[in-house]
Amino acid sequence: MNKWVPVVLCSTLLAACATPTRYIDPAADDGAVAMTMDYRDFERAADAALQDLLSSGAVDNPSGDRYVMAVSRIVNDTMQRIDTDQLVKKIRVGLLRSGKVITTTAVGVDGAEDAMNEKARELRNSEEFDQSGVQKKGTLKAPDLSLSGKIIQRNHKVKDEQQVEYYFQLSLTDLQNGLAIWENETPIIKRGSDKGVAW
Amino acid sequence: MSRMMQLAVLILVTSLLGACAPIQPEREVVQRDDLRVDPEIGGFVTVTELLEKRIDMPGGGDLLKIQFAVQAYQDTLMEWAVTWFDAEGMVVPGVGEGYRPARVLPNQTRFFTATAPHEKVVSYQLHLREDREP
Repeated sequence: MNKWVPVVLCSTLLAACATPTRYIDPAADDGAVAMTMDYRDFERAADAALQDLLSSGAVDNPSGDRYVMAVSRIVNDTMQRIDTDQLVKKIRVGLLRSGKVITTTAVGVDGAEDAMNEKARELRNSEEFDQSGVQKKGTLKAPDLSLSGKIIQRNHKVKDEQQVEYYFQLSLTDLQNGLAIWENETPIIKRGSDKGVAW
Repeated sequence: MSRMMQLAVLILVTSLLGACAPIQPEREVVQRDDLRVDPEIGGFVTVTELLEKRIDMPGGGDLLKIQFAVQAYQDTLMEWAVTWFDAEGMVVPGVGEGYRPARVLPNQTRFFTATAPHEKVVSYQLHLREDREP
């Protein structure tokens, strides 16, 4: 019985020394920088891209209406397993808030982002549903613009440090003629200990 | 006489109710500055210009854009952020709330630009602070 006392005592002491879990305020985060991509990198890249996009006038419809945008493929050419929506969602939110662009979830490279667009239309002619609430034919909006891009990573060794370069490349294509009406590249460069891991 | 009594009771009740009312804290209304530079870096960087302009959009609207220049007297790591406000003084959110890091070398002048996230933005506050990253 007595042999467990030191074990319990040591466990309690170790637990007491552990760093407490805490919330981070993104507006006042003074935490260390990681060699990998963190939320700050996505935020900076999205903010830079959005400011450039809005100020370019490329998404300002002369008719006054909002453009409809589809999200095409955003290639992750990095050594990290990331969800490119971390970047795209911020841009989509910013564009929607700007009142200039609305994103369709009915069209995507690998099918509709929201499959319910199709599913809801399968209720057409079903006797189980009140047909007055079922979506009519020809109501989906076709996209005017397409957002595509790539995130690239390059690693270099500089003396006893390593340098990791991330490039956030984005293109906005006018689907009427296939021309890229806006393009942007935001580099984010980090240099740190050679012992740090960038994947 | 009874009318006088009624009036006295009315004044007394009103005074009592008034005494029970919560005391409102005083509000100090301070004019918001376009530019705020923290004292930690204020001694070795100077904002040499702060320009604003509304850029016309093809759809007829316009967006507020600012440009500022920072000159440093020593190697300075700083961070900056712009908060945008509408005509009522309410914050107009952008993509993120984070500060952008920047390094200004001695005797270097760097120019930065920022564009408002919405046409309804009419004013802003630019904040420069020291680099907080360890």
